[in-house]
Amino acid sequence: MSQKSFNALFAVAVIGLIVGAWGMFERLMHGLKPVAFGSYVPWGLWVAFYLFFLGLSAGAFLITMLTYLFGMKRFEKIGRLSAFTVLIALLCEVLFITLDLGQMTRIYRFLISPSFTSFMTWMFVLFNAMGLIYTLKVYFLVREDIIAWANDGNRPGQALYRLLSLGKKSYDESDHRRDEHRVHLLSMISLPVGLLFYGMNGAFFAILMNRPIWNSAFTPLLFIMAALLSGGALITFLTHIYMRDDELVHGLGRAVLFVLVVFLFLQVLQFFVGYQTGVPSVVASLDLISRGPYWWTFWIVHVLIGSLVPLILLIAMPHNPRAVAWASFLIVITFITVRFNFVIPDLAVYKLEGLEYTFYHERLRTHYTPNLNEWLVSLWIVSLGLVAFLLGTRWLPVISSQRGGFENVQ
Amino acid sequence: MSTNLPVEDHLLRMQRDLKRAATRKPSDIKWTMVIDVGKCIGCHACTLGCVAENKLPPGVVYRPVLEEEIGRYPYVRRRFLPRPCMHCQNPPCTKVCPVSATHIDEQGVVVVNYERCIGCRYCLVACPYSARTSDFGEFYTEKTPDLPGKLLGRKAAAEGYENRPAKEYGRKWPERGRGSPIGNARKCHFCLHRLAVGMLPACVTTCVGRATFFGDRKDPESLVFTLLGSPRIHRLKEELGTKPAVYYLT
Repeated sequence: MSQKSFNALFAVAVIGLIVGAWGMFERLMHGLKPVAFGSYVPWGLWVAFYLFFLGLSAGAFLITMLTYLFGMKRFEKIGRLSAFTVLIALLCEVLFITLDLGQMTRIYRFLISPSFTSFMTWMFVLFNAMGLIYTLKVYFLVREDIIAWANDGNRPGQALYRLLSLGKKSYDESDHRRDEHRVHLLSMISLPVGLLFYGMNGAFFAILMNRPIWNSAFTPLLFIMAALLSGGALITFLTHIYMRDDELVHGLGRAVLFVLVVFLFLQVLQFFVGYQTGVPSVVASLDLISRGPYWWTFWIVHVLIGSLVPLILLIAMPHNPRAVAWASFLIVITFITVRFNFVIPDLAVYKLEGLEYTFYHERLRTHYTPNLNEWLVSLWIVSLGLVAFLLGTRWLPVISSQRGGFENVQ
Repeated sequence: MSTNLPVEDHLLRMQRDLKRAATRKPSDIKWTMVIDVGKCIGCHACTLGCVAENKLPPGVVYRPVLEEEIGRYPYVRRRFLPRPCMHCQNPPCTKVCPVSATHIDEQGVVVVNYERCIGCRYCLVACPYSARTSDFGEFYTEKTPDLPGKLLGRKAAAEGYENRPAKEYGRKWPERGRGSPIGNARKCHFCLHRLAVGMLPACVTTCVGRATFFGDRKDPESLVFTLLGSPRIHRLKEELGTKPAVYYLT
């Protein structure tokens, strides 16, 4: 990434942090009072964003698995960046979901009175395991360069690298082998942990009875494909931006195209089976997606901009890395609407006939539109994630692809 | 006077049932509610009685009365369905709570521990009856102007009623606005605090049409035990296997 692009993106992120700070202030001072969701649509934009970042982290997780567990050399160049992306996505996830809690200061309750019948508890456990594994993994991946940088007197931020090297001043071949072994071991642990974590998120929704769209064995599968699509597209885009490796971008682009086709096929199946079965609550939920007040988020943002345009680009120009990167970028930025259209329509259907005509209050309605506060808080978290990512790519050796390779950094 | 008229108000019999229950071990009691929808006139007195008893804030309701209009004008009828928490004996809401903040107590009542609840609202999503609501911290007196010397104003209005803590679960909660239950999931609890002192739930005593019955279903002498034998009895969404402790007579 050029210095100019970096500065522009960093400035955008800082502005986002400043503007979003108002939403954060309101949220921290007044709890959930400023938000627009209520008791019949109890989850809103923040949960959709949580799922969005979950998908991004899943794609990056997959790349780290291919690189460090299955030893696929072609992905080695983006291995570190992928591991670092997992960490940043996890950071955004935890912020979104913590701010969504009505009593967020009681998050410690997960530790002192957990209930293991709840999938949310397992998500907490697995999330923390993923956070720990990936913190260690990133550390052992970059340790060699960190120590080299700490010994480089001309490098700015030397004190930081000395701190991160934890007093270690030299790094030899045996250290390298040991770290490589540690990364491999962490990858072995993270494979079942990650699969459970990402699978559990789909099951989290699928097990809820009387939820027309979620309550299906299909949901975890859709989640996995959604994660592969959005995360894979993100990594393809980042590879183009940071690595400029056309061959790799081409390979990733083909994978993204395949997953996109499968994902769209699953969506078509979902609509086809739902409408053909004709269960009123399922039809009502599907109608909300396709013909409801936010029809445009589905048809224009997701189907047109986020699916058809990338499909055309990926099919027509598979060898043009810019086209592949653009297709991936469009998939990533429009994917929030997929998550939004997953979370809200299922909640926005009354569970009992007549509930809509009684006890009027705006919190007891199924109509939900995210308000300014929710958008500002989302902006703040996304901006924070972007700042952390940009600073990481600039100040940590997460982009270099080889041992001690600095050529891509700074 | 017709001999078909009841000789005594059902409330008196239910009160006696309650007294009898008080002599038994709590674990031997299984509280049950029976609602005769044929008698419900849709007056919403139970809803308001519950709101007043539990000092419920805006947007929180434990027992709404669902209204359904059938037919086309001029051949229109309306039917009403009071919907408290079903107090399921196989509740989907308790299993999903990640911090063990909600459970079935020994008397078969699904309760929420306000001091444990983290406000994730997973239980709200899991309940097939939409019987749980979240307290977002709103006040009825919020937009009441404060004009010192001219009006009593918001502060006085709030102090007079809604800031006063409710007695839910027999606890003395802090003044409203200072912590829980704001941010928590809230639901009907069969007025456990009233039962503890020998009083029937507020919705039962305020029911104008005497359509709501309450008692211990394990007591063969109780009114609810008799009613549960009726061929008219059914439960909402029985096919889900939640086994509600709230029954309906149709």
